[in-house]
Amino acid sequence: MIEVNNLRKEFKKTIKEPGLKGSVKSLFHPKTEKIAAVKDISFDIADGEILGFIGPNGAGKSTVIKMLTGILTPTSGTCTINGKNPTHNRKNYVREIGVVFGQRTQLWWDLPLRETYGVLKEIYEVPDDKFKERMDFLNEVLELEDFITSPVRTLSLGQRMRADIAASLLHSPKVLFLDEPTIGLDVVVKHNIRNAIEYINKKENTTVILTTHDLADIEMLANRIVMIDKGSNVFDGTISELKSKYGQIRELNFDTNDSEAKERLVYAKHFKVNEEDVIVEQEGNMVKVRFDSSVIPVSDMLTYTLGKIKVNDISVKDADIEEIIARLYKHEVG
Amino acid sequence: MRKKLKIYLPFVNAGMQETATYRTNWVFWQLGNILGCFISYFLWRAIFVSSENGSMNGFTMPQMIVYIFLMFLTTTLINSGGTYDIGEEIRDGSISMRLIKPISYNATFLFQELGNKIMTVCVLIIPLVAGVEFVRYRFTGEVQFHILMFLLYFLSAIFAYLINFFFNICFGFIAFVIKYLWGANMMKNCIVGFLSGQIIPLAFLPEMAKKVFLILPFASLNYTPVMIYMGMYTGTKMLMYIGLQMFWVLFFWGLSKLLWSVAIKHLSVQGG
Ligand SMILES: Nc1ncnc2c1ncn2[C@@H]1O[C@H](COP(=O)(O)OP(=O)(O)OP(=O)(O)O)[C@@H](O)[C@H]1O
Ligand SMILES: [Mg+2]
Repeated sequence: MIEVNNLRKEFKKTIKEPGLKGSVKSLFHPKTEKIAAVKDISFDIADGEILGFIGPNGAGKSTVIKMLTGILTPTSGTCTINGKNPTHNRKNYVREIGVVFGQRTQLWWDLPLRETYGVLKEIYEVPDDKFKERMDFLNEVLELEDFITSPVRTLSLGQRMRADIAASLLHSPKVLFLDEPTIGLDVVVKHNIRNAIEYINKKENTTVILTTHDLADIEMLANRIVMIDKGSNVFDGTISELKSKYGQIRELNFDTNDSEAKERLVYAKHFKVNEEDVIVEQEGNMVKVRFDSSVIPVSDMLTYTLGKIKVNDISVKDADIEEIIARLYKHEVG
Repeated sequence: MRKKLKIYLPFVNAGMQETATYRTNWVFWQLGNILGCFISYFLWRAIFVSSENGSMNGFTMPQMIVYIFLMFLTTTLINSGGTYDIGEEIRDGSISMRLIKPISYNATFLFQELGNKIMTVCVLIIPLVAGVEFVRYRFTGEVQFHILMFLLYFLSAIFAYLINFFFNICFGFIAFVIKYLWGANMMKNCIVGFLSGQIIPLAFLPEMAKKVFLILPFASLNYTPVMIYMGMYTGTKMLMYIGLQMFWVLFFWGLSKLLWSVAIKHLSVQGG
């Protein structure tokens, strides 16, 4: 469905030396510098897949999305979506895709929302009956009824985002690009939007690329993750692959009456590992131990703990995706 | 064609709503223009009063007054904000929102502006034409309004608008290169203002300069329609100048297409 091959984008930046002298100098001899925002990224997406496209701020996610949607022309490399090159026949290509940029609206600022959808209906040549059916559906999942007669400029952020997502789905696109579709939304709306995306994906086999900083979006929706950092691929695989590759972190939680449990459990010394590999926190009766299960096997951990103190209740929790990703972003692993 | 029209018609509507939304802004803008119009009226009156025979370069004072007000009307009719809008959309990156829709970039601008224009024409054309005709009646003692002349004027003004529109689009694409062009736009407005006869009728210029300026696309903007209305271009002369206008429309239309295909490759959408 989507093939991305060695995609690269360089931006020219004028560098200005500080001060007035620098300003004058850059007026006559602008010094430019090429910076690569995206460095030879490759990945494939299958038909009907939901891809979570993640990475820290400034990683180049939006730049990739802009190239895939035909807004930016790549410096080198290719991307093919449904057999089409986005920059070759733009008008023809964008008919098949839906795009939402969370930070920006694609709706007409001065038109009431209902009329905006009317305009989109004409642009995408959606037949009347299809349009009605679609609007009813979108109305139901995104609850547009309350503000459908208001001009777009008067909508709140969350309302506008719902309106934007509805606009991107109106023409039943084959591919949906979502660049941070859940920023600034309350929990209920977030939930509805995730459901809508999932529903559309299931029902129409729409391929979805989703960038977000809310990892709950990824966990709920994505079949697969592509992670980039500083313009390069860092990880490509499913969430469980991510967990098994980097996520040997486990969390041991137990309840004990022993108020000195933390002091008495000397894991680092016992297992002869670094202090950072085992982190113990105690709050009243509750003790939390985070450790790397590739360094200390879970069974050994349990044996030692249970042998050392008396516990009322104990559980071992799997790695938290948020934590793995935070560690990846901070280059602690990988 | 019909299908196309159906796609772009909503943009006309959007343009009309836009004007309606910001009508106070619009009213003050027009008041400012009318004020400027009166300033140049008093200026020219002073010049004519101090001249000896009451006529300059074939213009009598009443003709000059008619010229000033017609110039104002025409400038308003054919005014196009393309340069500024494109520059602004590139600067803040909102141009990307037009690019992700299966529509022609130029056409959306054209039809949106047409919406603004319809509002402007409806409000301004009757009072201004009535005013101009009143001045002409007072000085000559007879009604000079010819519907045919008026229609020819209107046709010529439409061509002038299209030239202006595509010229401004071309100029706006320079924004792709220099990213911000407020200053360049100011300079352009001054030069175009002079070359299109907004400040001084081109007839007042030295013979040599006049010859050159009349062929340049800028004379096809305001000057040609005004001359037609005033009856100074008639017969084959008029046809020749309308033909020249058509040539410039096609020229700038083609140029805008060419520049667009070059510019899109260099576009670096900012923000996000
Ligand atoms: N038009 C531009 N000109 C110059 N540099 C740019 C331009 N657009 C983006 N960049 C640079 O490219 C890099 C990647 O930006 P991009 O917007 O793709 O990041 P991102 O992954 O979407 O980040 P975020 O999570 O913050 O949205 C950044 O370092 C940014 O400064
Ligand atoms: Mg981004």
